[in-house]
Amino acid sequence: MSDEPRDATATAAADADAEVTGGLADRWASFRDREISTVLLTVVGVAVFPFLFNNFLDGYTQLATLMLIYGIFAVGFDILLGYTGLLSFGHAVFFGGAAYAAGIFSASVSSSPLLVLLAGTVFAVLLAWIVGFLSLRRGGIYFAILTLTFGQMSFYLAASPLAFLTNGENGFTSVNIGHLLGVIDIHGGVPFPLTMLVDNMLYVFVAVMTVLSVAMANRILHSPYGTVFRAIRENERRAEFVGLDVWRYKLMAFIISAAFAGIAGSLFTIEGNYVPLQSLYWTESGRIVIMTVLGGVGSLFGPLFGAGLYLYIENIVSGFETLGPFWHLILGVVFVVAVVLFPNGIWGGIDYVRDMVVGGEDE
Amino acid sequence: MTLLADILTILLNGLQQGAIYVLLAVGLSIILGTLKFVNFAHGALYLVGAYLGLFITGQVPLNNGQLAEWGIQSYGIGLGFVAALVIVPIVVFIIGLLMERFIAQAFYDRPDTDQILVTFGLAIIVQELLRALLGGSSQPFPQPSWASGPIALPVVGNFPRWRLGVIAITAVLVLGVYALVEYTDFGLIVQAGTLDGEMVRLLGIKLSRPYLVVFGIGAALAGVAGVVGGPLANVNPNIGTEQLVPAFLTVVIGGVGKIEGAVVAGLMLGTLQVLLIQTGYAAWSQVGIYALAALVLLVRPQGLLGSEVDVS
Repeated sequence: MSDEPRDATATAAADADAEVTGGLADRWASFRDREISTVLLTVVGVAVFPFLFNNFLDGYTQLATLMLIYGIFAVGFDILLGYTGLLSFGHAVFFGGAAYAAGIFSASVSSSPLLVLLAGTVFAVLLAWIVGFLSLRRGGIYFAILTLTFGQMSFYLAASPLAFLTNGENGFTSVNIGHLLGVIDIHGGVPFPLTMLVDNMLYVFVAVMTVLSVAMANRILHSPYGTVFRAIRENERRAEFVGLDVWRYKLMAFIISAAFAGIAGSLFTIEGNYVPLQSLYWTESGRIVIMTVLGGVGSLFGPLFGAGLYLYIENIVSGFETLGPFWHLILGVVFVVAVVLFPNGIWGGIDYVRDMVVGGEDE
Repeated sequence: MTLLADILTILLNGLQQGAIYVLLAVGLSIILGTLKFVNFAHGALYLVGAYLGLFITGQVPLNNGQLAEWGIQSYGIGLGFVAALVIVPIVVFIIGLLMERFIAQAFYDRPDTDQILVTFGLAIIVQELLRALLGGSSQPFPQPSWASGPIALPVVGNFPRWRLGVIAITAVLVLGVYALVEYTDFGLIVQAGTLDGEMVRLLGIKLSRPYLVVFGIGAALAGVAGVVGGPLANVNPNIGTEQLVPAFLTVVIGGVGKIEGAVVAGLMLGTLQVLLIQTGYAAWSQVGIYALAALVLLVRPQGLLGSEVDVS
């Protein structure tokens, strides 16, 4: 299996021009590699998702919204883990931190959802600047442990010394979310034609954010900037010799992924009207690691898929009569099997199978 | 109470608090130092040790979990605490050997992120298996009868006997491992392997067996830590992951592969924690150890006693 994600920048443009004359598979590949088609696919995906999910998969609207929120988080996490090769065990700080910042902002400054979202994301970015600056001094396991350290520190800070702000163990409850742009009730229903697909405004809001996030990630990863991330993952020293300031790129990758975590965290607050203290604990960081790896590192849609799958198992499968009590165990086993046998996760596995069937472009 | 007594009490409590960190960290540290393997499942071995200790020392009633649903009312054989101290390390040593052979070995050549991921997954499996079978509730782990109650110490006054026991057991075990690594041929080979594995192999010494044993010893130490630490707090499926993070901090503060470093760092963390609690800053006690760890790592990334060359 190729190590390089196949939608690499250079081939994309060339494919689009030269190989349209090829077979159906080539046409599909050239269509898929264009930015506009990625965005269109995402739009169609998030639009029909709740309909399919509610009618065929036993799901419910609130869970569909949550899946997209964690999907944004996972897409951002993959920019760091899958594309730059850095494993952070403290990403809950940015998710939970943004959730708290958004909540506190909504309670004391402004309740406008867009401003709340902005406040949470900016907070996550600033925090990531500091945490990244400090923990990127060392690579490999040291980076993982340092991020873990800062994560746990923030958890215990929020738990008691800062309890006057965060409400400690009980979580932050005084979230106050107003109307979108002053007119649209974000927790209300949707106007007629949309009702066939979704039933509340919140999902639409989160879905728009998801599409924007995917478009943004796609743009970053397919730019020369994103190519540098991949170069660093492949061989950090070589990237350094070429003259790239590796440290600065790593810091930017960290901050960018934290920005996604910040968007997700703020949306989490807007969605649930509540920030649990648990959102800062390191098991939350572990969850996002599992989602991303399970779905597939180094691909754009893999992490989205992983987040959905994780939450589906957590919320739906856990209710099954016989499997229920063992859901977390099963997930652990699947996770280990994925790490050992399918380093590119389920999405990578699908890619692999499709290549075998269609013949794919062998590299 | 005099000032001296206060200081000594804080130091003793810090020793006891740090002892568990040290036990876990020494195991983690020798595995990381010699095999270059990051074991996020080390906390799970601690968890196994604690439950195994509970199984050996007493009849623990089962109220929930799958075993209870299958009609098993209690678990345990009641052999006593000393038996647990002997049996648990042996069993966990064997678990360690199996882990090395069947999991760790396949990951020596893969990036350390993969090592972290696979051991993290293993930790989840162990934790959730125990939770599914035994239920998630907290079980009290009784102190051994010969070490319960207070003992009158000079200057300090009354001090819980079991806490002294924890300090003593830790001291004996850590000194034993230190002696093994520093003063035996086995230790010499392991140390040489750490410095330059290829050279040792060229000299005709097979490293796979010593490495296997190192992994087993590290695991056994985590198992003992579970038995020793069990009576200090209740036992539940979360204690493994809860102990893992401070144990890792102890390793990196002390310097990877350095047993002395782990001891110094563990005692620092333990004492700081107790100091903050006893001086009325209990809310900051957890934040304190993480802040200290961050500070040390920023000033001395290779750890307090780590060598400059070791930096990866």
